[in-house]
Amino acid sequence: MSFSSENFFDSLQGAIAYLPVTFKLTIYTFVISLFIGGTIAIIRNYKVPMISQFLAWFVTIYNGLPLMVALVIYNLLFMTNYDNVARFFHISKTISEINPVIVGYFSLILSSSCSYSETIRGALQSIEQVQYEAGYAIGLSKLQTLYRIILPQLVPVAIPGLINNLVGTIKGTNLVSAIGILEIMGGALTPCALSYSYLEGYLAAALVYWLFSFVLETLAKQIEVRSTKFRRQIV
Amino acid sequence: MIEITHLKKSFGKQEVLKDVSFKIQKGQVVTILGPSGSGKTTFLRCINFLERAEEGELRIGDTRINLRKASRKEILNVRRRTAFVFQNYGLFYHKTALQNVMEGLVVVQKIPKDEARKRAEAALEWVGLSNRKDFYPSQLSGGQQQRVGIARAVALNPEVILFDEPTSALDPEWVGETLDVIKKVAKKGITMIIVTHEMSFAEEVSDKVVFMDGGSVVEEGTPKEIFTNPKEERTKKFLARIIPQDMYYI
Repeated sequence: MSFSSENFFDSLQGAIAYLPVTFKLTIYTFVISLFIGGTIAIIRNYKVPMISQFLAWFVTIYNGLPLMVALVIYNLLFMTNYDNVARFFHISKTISEINPVIVGYFSLILSSSCSYSETIRGALQSIEQVQYEAGYAIGLSKLQTLYRIILPQLVPVAIPGLINNLVGTIKGTNLVSAIGILEIMGGALTPCALSYSYLEGYLAAALVYWLFSFVLETLAKQIEVRSTKFRRQIV
Repeated sequence: MIEITHLKKSFGKQEVLKDVSFKIQKGQVVTILGPSGSGKTTFLRCINFLERAEEGELRIGDTRINLRKASRKEILNVRRRTAFVFQNYGLFYHKTALQNVMEGLVVVQKIPKDEARKRAEAALEWVGLSNRKDFYPSQLSGGQQQRVGIARAVALNPEVILFDEPTSALDPEWVGETLDVIKKVAKKGITMIIVTHEMSFAEEVSDKVVFMDGGSVVEEGTPKEIFTNPKEERTKKFLARIIPQDMYYI
């Protein structure tokens, strides 16, 4: 096996050209899943009847489904049913005009929401009961107590887990290449198809993924530092 | 005036409060004594709906509220007219002492921030903590945290302050400073209901002492009546066991 630095830099350029695709997939998925996951966690924390049992059941089942399997199932359903659905809603676009990335978003967001919700729920459980009671006792409503007292205290507890989730999501975006979406990995491998030498492409993709995760992690750690100023440093 | 009538509460099959009635006049200080498990803390928590009673009525001023069926609005109304001091302080960890006191003033009472800050600073000075106003709870001692808790309650200017064993989580050396602050609150003429195990403090500060056991009021009267001349056998037994040990601290 030989290594050509020329091919490596070609692949690196290809990978970087598709970085925005991965970036968008990651950030949109993260933000939307944080919102959905947070909502799931809060509903389960407050034990809203019916809905919380349903969500508990759904999260447990869905967490056991590998992202790749979910992705190909949704893709298949999308491919076979698009025409009927489009006709029903009077959408004139044909399936070839639709970007398959929406299937990628759908499966990424669904699986991320489930795992984020568990992280946030764990953090919620770490907050003492007396914090709720103190909020209620000074006359705050349930909602005011939630977003003025509980959520600010939740952030520093949830961040380490969420950083971990974020890195998981970055890695998850790699799988959407399976349904024909070009992202970092695809971009890095495009030049390899000409040279028949794949090592450079894989290494270039690894490097870009690693750098991307590193930058996002560093940014998130900054937020962590800022949000923990009220906690005493004992360690 | 605050009056609670026929309060009943149970946790599962365990009956914690069996038909408790209670009355306190404006400006009075009432202490509730009793062994652990007698229901005194639950009683206090039922008043501002931290626990939901199964039966009973609350009269606060001119308002009558059914303790079982109270609506969200009624609950909020009661909570806004009362304040609560917790056994384990209940300070908001992410807020400084000053912000802890300001929270209710700004968010609940809608007082402009500058005005609220002045009031909060005054309240903290009053409990002797103006030099600690920008400290987070984690940077304060237990006694200091509890004094912030009391400042937070007093600053809200409530019709009644409920104290739930305010000193039982404290180190002996911090009990004194906290009790001194509570005495200061009493002198201000604020209506207070105090659940405590500090007998000498109860004797000194209260207008009325209520002795509870097994979920009902066994005996009530002036401190003098209860401490020097208790009528019920159960009260005598309880005091006989508690007082000598308590004398030790004085």
